[in-house]
Amino acid sequence: MLVCLPLNSASKADIIMDELLLQIVRAVVSGLMMGLVFGLVALGLTIIFGVMDIVNFAHGEFLMIGMYAGLLTATGFKVDPLVGLPVGAVFGFLLGVMCYYGLVRFLLRGPVAAQLFGTFGLMLFLRNLALLIMGADPRSVHQGILVGKSFVLGPDIIIEMTKLAAGILSVVAFISMWWLLNRTRVGMALTATALDAQAARYMGIPTEKMNALAWGLGGATVAMAGALLVNFWPVEPNVGLLFTMIAFATVALGGFGSISGAAVAGLIVGVLINIAPIWDAINLFTGIEGLKGLQIHQFKYSFVYLTYFLIMVFRPRGLFGWKH
Amino acid sequence: MQRKLWIPALCILMVATLAIPAMAAEEIKIGLIYPMTGGAAAEGKELRDGAELALEIANNVRNDLDMAMAKNGGIKSLGGAKVKIIIQDHQGNPQLGADLAKKLIQDEKVVGILGCYHSAVTKTVAAVADRFGVPMINDSSTSPALTKEGYKWFWRTTPHDTIFTQDLFVFLEGLTQGKVRGVKAVDKKELLPVVVACEKTEWGSNVEAAIKEIGKATGFEPQVSILYAAKAPDLSSEVQSLLAPKPGTMLFAGYGADAILMIKTLKSQKAKPRVVWGQNAGFESPEFLSSLGDDVVGILTRTVFSPRVGEVKKVAQQVNDMYRAKTGRDLSGASARAFTAFQTWIYVLEKAGSTKPEDIQKAANEIKIDAAELIVPWAGIKFTTSGVDIGQNELGTGMIGQYQKGKDGKITLEIVYPFELATADMIYPIKGW
Repeated sequence: MLVCLPLNSASKADIIMDELLLQIVRAVVSGLMMGLVFGLVALGLTIIFGVMDIVNFAHGEFLMIGMYAGLLTATGFKVDPLVGLPVGAVFGFLLGVMCYYGLVRFLLRGPVAAQLFGTFGLMLFLRNLALLIMGADPRSVHQGILVGKSFVLGPDIIIEMTKLAAGILSVVAFISMWWLLNRTRVGMALTATALDAQAARYMGIPTEKMNALAWGLGGATVAMAGALLVNFWPVEPNVGLLFTMIAFATVALGGFGSISGAAVAGLIVGVLINIAPIWDAINLFTGIEGLKGLQIHQFKYSFVYLTYFLIMVFRPRGLFGWKH
Repeated sequence: MQRKLWIPALCILMVATLAIPAMAAEEIKIGLIYPMTGGAAAEGKELRDGAELALEIANNVRNDLDMAMAKNGGIKSLGGAKVKIIIQDHQGNPQLGADLAKKLIQDEKVVGILGCYHSAVTKTVAAVADRFGVPMINDSSTSPALTKEGYKWFWRTTPHDTIFTQDLFVFLEGLTQGKVRGVKAVDKKELLPVVVACEKTEWGSNVEAAIKEIGKATGFEPQVSILYAAKAPDLSSEVQSLLAPKPGTMLFAGYGADAILMIKTLKSQKAKPRVVWGQNAGFESPEFLSSLGDDVVGILTRTVFSPRVGEVKKVAQQVNDMYRAKTGRDLSGASARAFTAFQTWIYVLEKAGSTKPEDIQKAANEIKIDAAELIVPWAGIKFTTSGVDIGQNELGTGMIGQYQKGKDGKITLEIVYPFELATADMIYPIKGW
């Protein structure tokens, strides 16, 4: 009996460690998948900033419009919410181009403050327009091929289909965006405009069109992210705020204007949000007194904003930033 | 000569203008402050419809209905004065609620206030009502703290969360003792561990505290207990924490969209609990049922009303029929309680025979409404006037319902607690998703 006791407690400790490790892996996996979506949301913001040095405060509203486009396509035509993806992309592209020609083009002539306040005004306008048309009630998609589906990977790691699809799409979007910018003539023209708009104009690059293209691509990627998000995230006119904040933090972390930076930073942000369940799991399985009762889930987004703050103070150009 | 005529003419004019509000006072205004937009908009509509039905019955004569207020066609002791309601939308925002209360009191000159559903909003509105000395009756806010403030102008008809939470643990113990209809005594270990997630405003955090306190005393102490923002658009990290200890019993308090999101997330994370219980609110909204469909089957919710009450109370059946004719829906916990609280307003006014705040205060403190008058299965309405729980209806009781699918394929809330009122065998364990 005496011999058995330490053996028993040792195996018990092993089981606890296994459980704890499993919980941490689950949290990290789910964080990485959300992170890919956050990356996709931030991608549009970083493209627009990279090409034109304009901070688009209405970015979250583009996302909200993408979500509504996905939702209305699914409910209006009684089709799977996934069909909303191309609809959202086209809608977002047109919206981006329209915003450029209708507003941003004029803002460029003014001081930097005009650009800030201009897109801020666009944010308020789009949000309240949505409030007027769609009302304030949150809506969500309840049926669909992916909605509510999930599968179990290995020992108890649950993968939600909607998030997996969002993650895959986001990887595809990142790769194609990288290919477009680095391997095509249009992409090189875009990059040239980003590096030195005046010189690019002298070389015969239609910079005006390039700017519009940047807005179109930015709008399309974020609206597509929205159409995917609506599979598992309820939409209401104010939904963009949270995402704008997270996208800013992501872009700042990855470096303004950096495509790969946005991808890596998105993953980091996803994991940061999932610190709470890791904390809870440590708390639960180790039973350390004093940790209990701390309601860490209430602060789950605070870790992201804290990182944003620290990056801004210690490395303002971000992890992969090339613009100063 | 002409100048002399001016003075009496002016006097007459002044008297006439003063007389208009005096004549208009025939109509008694009650201000309703409810969430008509935002996450709890669906419940707001339920509450409004419930109160409006009580108003219709009070202002008209319905001889077929066995209810004192259905016979009078207005407030008899006030010369048959009609009651009018003014509805305001607080959007779930406590500050807006307080501003609306001031507006109702100062601009609309309401005689009293009814509302506000969200405990956090009721808290600020009750403070305004107390400051202005205007009576307020609360129908559906269940934070226990509300009647512990020592307000002199605040009365609550619904039982509060401490009472409801005690019911929950009596029910769970009953489950281990074989008292629940259709379920053999369950080994307590099957129900453990218990995990809790509540939204973090006034209401949810009080529910969480009550569950922890009473759970500890009854041997159902929660292993994991989480507070989250009701507007949180994603609950996957919360659900992961909840599922870590492999819970047997999951307890929730959520308002609207968050309750739906919680069940969806549980489903997609393949949760396998045996008992899922929600503290009313979001778990009983029509949206909960319509958006989750069959996924709600087996979920328990604390409630104060089920259309099945009509089987034991004729008056509940009659009012439910009227409500269905008016809205196309059955009465819910929200609409039944709004109805009951508005009914209480009518009886208080009738007893007061005056619209002076002091008279209404006296009437409210003395009123006793019989169980037979009510559509909810309570022992009546009588407010405490001393002790720690001032203004609380001491005759209210809670129920626990379970969503079950009938033979016709329609999902209804069957009563499983109180044990003697059970209308169906309980489904145990919950089938899951």
